[in-house]
Amino acid sequence: MKTALWNTDYSLYLSFILPCLFFINILSSAEGGPCKDYGECDEFKYSLNDIESLQRGASTYINYCYGCHSLKYSRWGRVAKDLEIPEDIFFKNLVFDKSIKSGDLMIGAMPEDSANWFGVAPPDLTLVSRYKGDDWIYSYLRAYYEDSSKQYGVNNLVYPGTAMPNVLLSLQGNQRLVCKDIPQIAQNGGEKRDDLGNTLFKEKCGYLEVEEGTGLLSKQEFDALIYDLTNFLVYVGEPSKADRERMGWYVIFYFLIFTALSSLLYREYHKDYNK
Amino acid sequence: MSDMAIKLFSWINSRLPIVNTFERHLSKHPVPSKVNFWYLFGALAAVTLIIQVISGIWLIMPYSNTEEEAFSSIEYIMRDVDYGWVIRYIHTTGASLFFAVVYLHMFRGLLYGSYQKPKELVWIFGCTIYLAMMAEGFLGYVLPYGQMSYWGAQVIISLFGAIPYIGESLELWVRGDYYISGITVSRFFALHVVALPLVLIALVFLHLVALHEVGAGNPEGVDIEKHLDDDGVPLDSVPFFPYKVLNALVAIGVFMTVFSIIMFFFPEGGGYFIEMANFQEANPLVTPDHIAPVWYYAPFYTMLRAIPDPLGGLIVMAAAVAIFFVVPWLDRSKVASIRYKGIYSKIAITLFGVSFLTLGYLGTVGVTEVRKLMSIICTVMYFAYFLLMPIYTKYETTKEVPERL
Repeated sequence: MKTALWNTDYSLYLSFILPCLFFINILSSAEGGPCKDYGECDEFKYSLNDIESLQRGASTYINYCYGCHSLKYSRWGRVAKDLEIPEDIFFKNLVFDKSIKSGDLMIGAMPEDSANWFGVAPPDLTLVSRYKGDDWIYSYLRAYYEDSSKQYGVNNLVYPGTAMPNVLLSLQGNQRLVCKDIPQIAQNGGEKRDDLGNTLFKEKCGYLEVEEGTGLLSKQEFDALIYDLTNFLVYVGEPSKADRERMGWYVIFYFLIFTALSSLLYREYHKDYNK
Repeated sequence: MSDMAIKLFSWINSRLPIVNTFERHLSKHPVPSKVNFWYLFGALAAVTLIIQVISGIWLIMPYSNTEEEAFSSIEYIMRDVDYGWVIRYIHTTGASLFFAVVYLHMFRGLLYGSYQKPKELVWIFGCTIYLAMMAEGFLGYVLPYGQMSYWGAQVIISLFGAIPYIGESLELWVRGDYYISGITVSRFFALHVVALPLVLIALVFLHLVALHEVGAGNPEGVDIEKHLDDDGVPLDSVPFFPYKVLNALVAIGVFMTVFSIIMFFFPEGGGYFIEMANFQEANPLVTPDHIAPVWYYAPFYTMLRAIPDPLGGLIVMAAAVAIFFVVPWLDRSKVASIRYKGIYSKIAITLFGVSFLTLGYLGTVGVTEVRKLMSIICTVMYFAYFLLMPIYTKYETTKEVPERL
C-alpha cells in the first residue's frame, strides 16, 4: 500500500529541518571575530603527543612568561612527569626558586603590587587556552607591532590596547604595520590589468612585517617558537587532554561492541513475538 | 538454589512484595508490541538520571562550596584527582544530554498525543520533572563559579526582582546576600545535591507509577486495552521484560556511544555544553561581552529578551513552560497520533518545532534588529501552537484509527 508522502513520519521530520536551516542561515550574520583587527585568527592545530614541542614550549614559558604569569592550578612535578623530563634535570634548569618542591603549585613570582606596573595584574594563564582558545593565543603572540603612541611602544592587532609589552621582541625583531601594493582583483576574480597588460596595483594597509635583521630568529623560527609555546598552553589548560583522546577510542569501541551484541540479542527475542 | 536460599527468599517475599512487584512492573507488565524509536527516550532519560546521580556523588567528594575555593576545586578535580576529569566530563556531558533526551521525549508526547485521557497525570508529572530539571541545571551551573556561572546567576536571580511588591525582598532571599557570593554558592550547592535530586527522583517514581497504571501509548494511537486475551492481557502487547528491556539496551548502547564521543572528544560541545567564559573565575567587576545561557535554556532566554519589559518577559517565559501543563485540555482531537490527525495539526506541530529550534539558536547569539523581530515572530508561533490547539484539533478532518496495532 502506498501512503502519501505527507503522511509518513519522515516527511514530517524533513519539513522541520529544512525551514530551520533556512532560518538559521538568514539569521547568522558575520560577527566580529575574537581576533579583532587581525581578522580571522590563524588556525592552530595542537599536537599533545609531540613531547619535544611541549618541552620547548615549557622552557619558553618559564623563561619569558612565568616571571609575570603564574600557572596556579598546575603543579611543577606534574609538568615534569607529563613532559617526560627527569625531575632532577627539570628542577635544575627550569625551577629557579630552590625552595620549591615537586608537589607545589606554579603560583608565580610576581609581588602583590604588580598591578601598579601595568595597570592590571598579569593574569594567571593556566586556563587561557580554554577561555581564549589556542587560535587566539597563536595569533595574539604574533600580532604585535610598533606603535609609539603606546606606553611600551607596541600595540597588538588581535588585542588592541593590550597592557602587555612585547616580551619576545628581541627574538621576533621589530614588527611594523605596513601598507603594500597588491594586485587589484577584477570582477571575474582574476587580476585587473591595464590596456598594455600590466597588472594594476592598489595600496592596502594593515600588513605585519618584520624589519629584517632586528630579531634573533627568522620568521619561521619565531612562528615555531610560538607554536611550541601555544602547544604548551593547550597542555597546561587540560593536562589530561592527550589521555582523554587516547582513552576515548577504547570506550567508544566498547560501546559499539555492546550495541552490536545487544541488538543481536534483541533480534533473537524479537523472533518470538513476531511469529 | 539450595533449600536454604529458597527458604530465605520466601521468608523475605512474604514480608516484602518482591515477586509481585517484579511481575507487575517488569516481567508481566504489558507494553504495546509496535512502537518506534521515539519511544526509547524515556528509558534514556532514566539512564541519564542515574548517570548524573552517581557522577554527582563522586563530584561532591572533592568539590568545595566556598567562594574562595569553588573554582579552584574544579581545577583540582580536573588535574589532581585520579580520573577526576572523567567524572566531571560525565556530569557536564550528562547534563546536556539529559536535556536533549527529555526534549525529544516531550516532543514524542506532542507528536503522538501521549497526554490524552487517561494519561493526563503522567504528562503533568513529566512537566513537573522538566521544571525541576530546569532548576537543577541552573543551580548546578553556578557551582563551578566561573564567569558565566556568576553572570548567568546574576541574570536569572534578578528575574525575581521583576515581580511587583515582593520582588526585591524575594531576590535578596534567594541570593542570601546583597550580591552573588559564597553564601549563594553554598545554598545552591545544598539545593543542587540534596533538595532537587530528592524531588526529581520522587517525581520520576510518580511518573512511572502513573504510567504503569494507565499503560504506555503507541505511535498509532490505538487503545490496546480494547482487545484482550483470555487472561486479560492485551493482544497487541509484549511483556516489558525481556522484550522492551532488550530494545532499550540497544538504544542505551547507541546513546552511550554518542555520549562517549562527546565526552572524550568534544567535552565543551563547541562552547555549548561548557561555555568558554566559564574557564575564567567569577569576577563581579568584569561583565563578559556576551552573556549567553547554556543551549537548553536558550529558547526561553530568547523570549525573555524579546520582551522589552522585564516583568512582561518573565511572564512570557514562565507561561512558555507553564502552558505544557494544560496541553491535555487544549487538544480536542478524537485521535491521539499525528498520523491520524488532520493537516492543521501537522502544520501546527511543524511550525512549533521550527519556532522552538529557531528560538534556541537566537538565545545563543547576540541581538540584532532582524533577530529581535525574528524572536518575536517565533515567540508568537510558539504560543500559537498551544493557544490555537483547541480550534485546529476540533475542526480538522481526522482519519479513522485502526482497531489493532
